[in-house]
Amino acid sequence: MECRVLSIQSHVVRGYVGNKSATFPLQVLGFEVDSINSVQFSNHTGYAHWKGQVLTAEELNELYEGIKLNKVNHYDYILTGYSRDTSFLEMVVDIIKELKEANPSLVYVCDPVMGDHGAMVRTPPTFQVMDLLHKMGPKTVVLTSSDLPSKRGDQFLVALGSQTIVKPDGTNTSQKICIDIPKVDAVFVGTGDLFAALLLAWTHHHPKDLKAACEKTVSVMHHVIKRTITYAHELAGPGKRPSPAQLELRMVQSKADIENPAIVVEAKVLQKSSH
Amino acid sequence: VMCRRDYPAMECRVLSIQSHVVRGYVGNKSASFPLQVLGFEVDSINSVQFSNHTGYSHWKGQVLTADELHVLYQGIKLNNVHQYDYVLTGYTRDTSFLEMVVDIVQELKRANPNLVYVCDPVLGDHGSMYVPQNLYPVYKNKVVPVADIITPNQFEAELLTGKNISTEKDAVEVMDLLHAMGPDTVVITSSDLPSRLGDRFLVSLGSQLRPDGSRTTQRVRMEVHKVDAVFVGTGDLFAAMLLAWTHHYPNDLKMACEKTFSVMHHVIQRTISYAHELAGPGRRPSPPQLELRMVQSKADIEDPAIVMEAIVLS
Repeated sequence: MECRVLSIQSHVVRGYVGNKSATFPLQVLGFEVDSINSVQFSNHTGYAHWKGQVLTAEELNELYEGIKLNKVNHYDYILTGYSRDTSFLEMVVDIIKELKEANPSLVYVCDPVMGDHGAMVRTPPTFQVMDLLHKMGPKTVVLTSSDLPSKRGDQFLVALGSQTIVKPDGTNTSQKICIDIPKVDAVFVGTGDLFAALLLAWTHHHPKDLKAACEKTVSVMHHVIKRTITYAHELAGPGKRPSPAQLELRMVQSKADIENPAIVVEAKVLQKSSH
Repeated sequence: VMCRRDYPAMECRVLSIQSHVVRGYVGNKSASFPLQVLGFEVDSINSVQFSNHTGYSHWKGQVLTADELHVLYQGIKLNNVHQYDYVLTGYTRDTSFLEMVVDIVQELKRANPNLVYVCDPVLGDHGSMYVPQNLYPVYKNKVVPVADIITPNQFEAELLTGKNISTEKDAVEVMDLLHAMGPDTVVITSSDLPSRLGDRFLVSLGSQLRPDGSRTTQRVRMEVHKVDAVFVGTGDLFAAMLLAWTHHYPNDLKMACEKTFSVMHHVIQRTISYAHELAGPGRRPSPPQLELRMVQSKADIEDPAIVMEAIVLS
C-alpha cells in the first residue's frame, strides 16, 4: 500500500498523545507517516509537571519549505489535532491548501479540538449539527462522543457519524450511523488522537462504508482502552485511582488489535436522507 | 465478547535521544518503529527536527540545545518516571549536547544500575571525520566509558583506540581495547578486512565480555553482503536492533548478531529493489527513493529469517 500521511501534532517524550498516539498505529497498518512535531514536551499536560518547547508558525513553515524544495510535498492524507496557537493553525491551513493543489485527492482529517463537557451556546439537534458541518466542508463527520441518552443505559455514550455520498444521478445523500460505546471510569489522554488516526486508516480501507470504518475504529479503541485500564489498575493497586503516568495508553502492547481488530460494536445505520 | 488473550507483555523502556526527520528514516524515525514493533516502550527525545536527512539536495529545520535537552529530562524527572532499562544514542554534532547526554545517562544509571547504554559513537567513516573534531575527546573520555554496547565502524574503532586494523587479529585487539574503556559489548559494524566470500562482501566483527565473572570473551565474525548504494539511517536501525536482540539474547552475541544483521539484510534488500523500481532502468536512485522501507518490513523486523551465520572465533 503506498499511502503517505502528513501528521502535524504534538510530540511527547513519554506517553501517547498527538504524534506519539497517531504514528505507531498508522505505521503498523502500513501507512508512511511524515510527522511534524508542533511541540516537544516531556509528557502530556495532565501530569503533575510538564516541560518542553513549542514550534512557531515560522519554524513550521521552514520545515514545510524543506520538504517542498526536495519536491517531496505529495501526500494522500493530512492529520491534525490539538493546537493552541492561531498563527500556527493558519500556517497549517496554508500548507494544506498548497498540498491540495499538488494533490486534489488529498484527504484532510481534522480533530477540531476546542473543548469538552460544556456547550457554549444552544445547539441544534444533533443530526442537523452534522448536516451543518457537511455544508461547511467535510464529507465525513464523526461526533466522537455525545451525551445523547443511549438505548443501552447510562453506562454507554452515543457516538454518531455521517458521510455524504454522491448518488449515480449526481444528487447528494448521506449515510448516518450511531454507535453505543461503553463508558470507562477514567480520564484518558491521547484517545482522541488515536481515534482520528484510526478513522483515517479505516475510512481509507472502507471509503464508502462509514459503518464498517466506525466499527473497526471504535473496536480498536475498545481493545486499547480495556488493556490500558486493566494494566493501570494493576499498577495502582486495589482501591487506588491510577495516576496519569499509569493511564498512558498501552499502545505497543495493542499492536495485534490495531492490525486486525475483533469487532466488538455494531453501528446502526440510521435513516438515509437526501439533500 | 472475549478479548484476545494477552501474553505477558515485555516491560522494557528505552530512552532514545536522536534526530527527528519529518520525512524518512534516520535517528529516532529509524529506531522507534522497529523497537515498538518488538514490544519495547520507547521514550524519545528529538535532538533536532529537520525536514529530511542531510543527504538530500535541501534540508531545513531546528536543533535542540543542551539546555532544552536538560529541561525535557527535568520534566520526566519531576514526575518521577525517569526509570529506564536502556538508553540509545547516535549521531550528534554538539559537544555540550553530548556532555548533557552523559550527565543524564549517569543519573539514570544511579536510578537503575542495570541500565544498558547502547551508543553508536558516530565520528566518521572511510578515513575521515564527518562530525566536528571536538566531539572526539568527548566520546573517548566521557561517552564510551559509560557505554555498555557500542557499534563503531572500523574508522571509529581505530580513532577511539589509536590502533590501526589491518588483520582480524588487529580487530580483536582493538575490540579488547574498547572493552577496557568501558563497554562489555562491541560490534565493529563494517571493515575493509578481506572477506572469505570475496569482494562483494565486507567483514563485521563482534566481541562480548561474558558477564559471569569468568572474563572470557565471545568473539564473532560476519561476512556481510555489500550493496551498491548509499543508505542513510541504517546505522541507527542497526543499533536499535542490536539493542533488541542483545536484550533477548544477553549471553549469545552470535545469535544477537545473526538476528540483527539478518533484519538489516531484509530491510536493505526491500529498499534497494523498490528504489530501483522508482528510479527506472539504468538510473541511480535518489536519496528520497533510497529511504528505508521501514513500515513495509514490519514482518521481517518482528521475526527475521536468519540469512547469515556469525562464526565464533576461537
